[in-house]
Amino acid sequence: MYILKNAWRSITRSKGRNLLIGIIIFVIAVSSCVALSIQEAAKQAKESSMEQLEITGQITMNRQQMMAGRGSREEMKDALADMEMMSLEEMKEYAQSEYVKSFYYTISASVNGGDDIEAVDVSGTVSDTESSEIAGDVRMQTDAAMPEGGDMGRGRMGEQGDFTITGYSSDEAMLSFLNGGSRVVDGEMFPENDTGYQCIISSELATYNELETGDTITLTNPNNEEESYTFTISGIYESTETSDSAGNMMRNFSAAYDTANQIYTSYENLKDIADTSETSAVVSTDETTGMEMSTALRTQENGTYTFADIEDYEKFKEETDEQLGDYYTVTSNDVSAYEQSLLPLENLSRYAAYFHAVVLIIGGIILVVLNIFNIRERKYEIGVLAAIGMKKGKIGIQFVTELLCVTFLSIFIGAGAGAAVSVPVTNQLLEQQIESSANAREEQIQSFGREMGSMPGGGFKGGEMLDESAQEEKEFGEGSALTVRNYISQVDSATNFRVIVQLILIGILLTIVSGCVAIVFILRYDPLRILSNRD
Amino acid sequence: MSVLKLDHVSFAYENGSACVLKNLSYEFEKGRMYSIVGRSGAGKTTLLSLLSGLAVPTEGTIYLEDKDIKQIDKYEYRSRYVGVIFQSFNLLPKLTAVENVMLSIDIAGKKSGNKEAHAMELLKEMGLSEDESRRRVLKLSGGQQQRVAIARALSYEPEIILADEPTGNLDRETQWEIMDIFKRLAHEEQKCVILVTHSPEVAKASDEIFELGTGVF
Repeated sequence: MYILKNAWRSITRSKGRNLLIGIIIFVIAVSSCVALSIQEAAKQAKESSMEQLEITGQITMNRQQMMAGRGSREEMKDALADMEMMSLEEMKEYAQSEYVKSFYYTISASVNGGDDIEAVDVSGTVSDTESSEIAGDVRMQTDAAMPEGGDMGRGRMGEQGDFTITGYSSDEAMLSFLNGGSRVVDGEMFPENDTGYQCIISSELATYNELETGDTITLTNPNNEEESYTFTISGIYESTETSDSAGNMMRNFSAAYDTANQIYTSYENLKDIADTSETSAVVSTDETTGMEMSTALRTQENGTYTFADIEDYEKFKEETDEQLGDYYTVTSNDVSAYEQSLLPLENLSRYAAYFHAVVLIIGGIILVVLNIFNIRERKYEIGVLAAIGMKKGKIGIQFVTELLCVTFLSIFIGAGAGAAVSVPVTNQLLEQQIESSANAREEQIQSFGREMGSMPGGGFKGGEMLDESAQEEKEFGEGSALTVRNYISQVDSATNFRVIVQLILIGILLTIVSGCVAIVFILRYDPLRILSNRD
Repeated sequence: MSVLKLDHVSFAYENGSACVLKNLSYEFEKGRMYSIVGRSGAGKTTLLSLLSGLAVPTEGTIYLEDKDIKQIDKYEYRSRYVGVIFQSFNLLPKLTAVENVMLSIDIAGKKSGNKEAHAMELLKEMGLSEDESRRRVLKLSGGQQQRVAIARALSYEPEIILADEPTGNLDRETQWEIMDIFKRLAHEEQKCVILVTHSPEVAKASDEIFELGTGVF
């Protein structure tokens, strides 16, 4: 007990010395608190958002696997030509898995406009036929940009239209409307499972054609212009994916890729059209290529599974991959896209860890050196205490207690200050980190003259990561699996109980290290020599 | 019966160097005041260091009531059996007079009721007022510091009091006041008081004189 009293007296009566030690530990504590908070924020952001993240997945063809083992390019070509997308019925069977939360699907087709509607077209003033041919070529070249889940019947795809019409199985499938990327600004969304041929069109398309809610539009089969379908406009929508966005670059190649020319309806409507078209189709053989051609409307069906969490996704993947064989696989862009969104925060967390290590090492060394000076300065006191019978061990305990008190007081204050500044500092550093990433991306874009194919987040534009504290999903075409997510750019709180415990452990560690030095010196001192030299 | 006994004690500061003290044998008894005298360098302070357990004899043995002090924990020996008054007092400057005394009581592990009251009483006996007792020792005069050092040495009631030049820095009046305290401790409280001094007057006031360097007692 007297050791504690003596230690406290020593602290309060040697303010300068202890203040100096306190300041150093305070600086270490604040730096540690900020660094640990950044690391904790990154961890928390990953864990909590991962828990909340609804994973979507699709069954896609594994073309790499399909081409593997084929000797020549011809063999590969044949194999790819023989590829068939899994039917919707098969996909629905897999959706029965206990791990699947829900399943939705879409059907898409490329169509032309009738007399009452013309596509918004910035792809060039070419005739419909030329446009279609170019578009066909482009589609082959830009295959990587197309959803893997789609099978357009390569080599048998027919003509490309000026519009893309997509049919949704349910409201849940309309991700763009769910996440706020698009919204109906006039009229209303067609009912789920609508069979009354209602659709919604973009505001740009409506303005361009002077169309209003309640008007009808005629769409035609690009493979058979005499085959037409009449839809009633139930609503007009606006999308943040405007024609100007970087993600809408494909509009330069074909009007069908322009977001303004996206028409949405129910799955039932489009499926009905596709089935009717298939029934009445004329099949012929191209004399030059020998390829079988059909006038049926080409459609593409996509199925998307949603999972409650990543564990369910992984279990589904494991379970389904076994049944699917080599040529199909379950994929999800969500996890990797989300991990990419955390990249700046994780980078910052890594830098924070390095910074923390440097602070601890330098701070620790300063503290040890200061403590050595401190002990040397108090040599006389040690000599007197030992001479009057205080055991060196107890003297050591007193000195370590003093250090411990100063350390914990400083860590307590430092943790408070660190907690107060950690959020703004983290967000400031995070902003710089994101800016740095964005600049690097911009530079790459400038160097390449285009987006890099392997860039995280697909067609993500550097300047688009401005939203707060959450990922924002963007889609490139409805029903497409190609999504990008914004970087996490803000954290709300970072200093928690775990950080405080870590700070306390750091304090104990620093005290032990510098206290050990003190004890070594104390044990080496001989009271007689100290007092004799003084005398 | 002797309370402290030197039995053929020799001491050299370093192995192989000349002995500062050579083959000393002597017995110190309770109730008597001893003065150790000798010319400078004769080993007076060294002998006091040996008796206080701060140094260990190179040869020979020091007994505390028939027990070799080597067998006693040196810290326990210093904190309980001997009270040492150093030439330069060796008080802790950051503490007040009463805190210096209380610290010694704590180190000795004495469980006396009110330590502060006991320390204040001792200081009062040594002639320090309450105000002086609560001052930091650096704010006290040399004589007052010497009294604090004596109070500290007496605080845990040791049987042996060792004092190195206790009157060296004091004026004559204070010197005799201090000597009176030592006499009282020896003759009334049956302590064994051993003083190291250069002063023939102080030596004369002792019951016995132990002169180093000549072998004369």
